[in-house]
Amino acid sequence: MDALGDPTRRAIFELLSAGPHAVGEIAEQLPVSRPAVSQHLRVLKDAGLVAERRNGTRRIYRLDPDGVARVRDYFDRFWDAALAEFKAAAERSQG
Amino acid sequence: MTTQTDLTVRKSVLVNCSPEVAFHVFTERKTDWWPYETHAASGEKPAEVIYEPQVGGRVFDRLEDGRENQWGTVLAWEPPHRVRITWNVNPGNPTTELEVRFTPEGDGTRVDLEHSGWEAYGERAQDSASSYNSGWDLVLGRYVDSVNA
Repeated sequence: MDALGDPTRRAIFELLSAGPHAVGEIAEQLPVSRPAVSQHLRVLKDAGLVAERRNGTRRIYRLDPDGVARVRDYFDRFWDAALAEFKAAAERSQG
Repeated sequence: MTTQTDLTVRKSVLVNCSPEVAFHVFTERKTDWWPYETHAASGEKPAEVIYEPQVGGRVFDRLEDGRENQWGTVLAWEPPHRVRITWNVNPGNPTTELEVRFTPEGDGTRVDLEHSGWEAYGERAQDSASSYNSGWDLVLGRYVDSVNA
């Protein structure tokens, strides 16, 4: 899942996992500019992980509920990576 | 939504060690292999990870400064064959469940992992009224760096 392959996008994704946020709120909490946040949000949105709605002049972003299956797939890959590390650690322990 | 679909993540891996060693490394030596997030506030690498070895026991990280982060609760504790726990890092968020089985195979052990319960996130995420209390578990932050590692 390349959309989550970037540390800043992962941080944004995490932030939105706590609840909906406006672009400005996200930018305040991360060491990146507002335009950069918008760009990352666009990638997340294109990947179906994030949805937006307008609230007056503000755009509010939240995690896309239909992205659940994608997140599940993401964990699917996560466990591949984690279990590879686990296997190495277990076999080292065996001596 | 895909609630009709089985979303369970299933993984199997063969390791060249006994079930006893595999179980021990999985539960008690997690800091040796768990791919900790580095940039997230909640993703510091802990000094230790503790599984209280009984049904109902806590699963938690303890950081160097003594702070603890609970990951879940033990649902089944059958060393060296099986462990099942809840994942519920943030109270109020949906809970998923992780089951890991350790089965002798040849000279080694087959480790079968099932991570289930994603449907609960979808149901919660659909409820826009729950707003700030909704959302997906911040535990994600602990997982993510590993994917491209």
